[in-house]
Amino acid sequence: MGTATATMKHPTLTGERMLVVQLLTGSSTADGEPVIVFDRLGARRGDRVLVTNDGRALQELLGATTPGRWSVMGIPDLGSGEGEALP
Amino acid sequence: MRIGEIIGRVTLSRSVPEIKGGRLLLTRPLPFAALAQGAPDRGEDLVLYDELGAGAGAIVAISEGREAANPFGKVKTPIDAYCACLFDSIDVDPDVTLEPPTSSRKGSRNR
Repeated sequence: MGTATATMKHPTLTGERMLVVQLLTGSSTADGEPVIVFDRLGARRGDRVLVTNDGRALQELLGATTPGRWSVMGIPDLGSGEGEALP
Repeated sequence: MRIGEIIGRVTLSRSVPEIKGGRLLLTRPLPFAALAQGAPDRGEDLVLYDELGAGAGAIVAISEGREAANPFGKVKTPIDAYCACLFDSIDVDPDVTLEPPTSSRKGSRNR
């Protein structure tokens, strides 16, 4: 839903692109509060993104002491619809 | 990492030595409506360990759970909410449309 910038932050986060993402339930309603997601795939605003909360993946990228958790692992090609609901 | 507004500070008369280095601030997470439409509603407040010097009213990133302990490395620290960023700007897409959450989620989900 947006992007965030911060000069004062944990050193492992330097240079990382931060997105503001609202997690969605299956029926596209908001699921909890928006979270900061680290993005190296170049998601654009308004994109639906596939995110992971595997902190270890981020630790491997940014270092063991990183406080970050969520990161973008994919940008689905939704084409026209919102992705067909599974039967 | 949820996004929170600093609303106050907690001072301790005595505490375990591991948390002597930083300050304990009171923060409230910002829900979708607050970020997208500037609504005044906020999530359930929580205490945050801060080393960046966030003042009242500052907008910060709240690292929670296991990740909150990462910055302390091998030192076992009883911290479950850590201030990871002091935001300069949060730039939200003005026409992001999403109906606000129907049930009020009282911080039940650990982000």
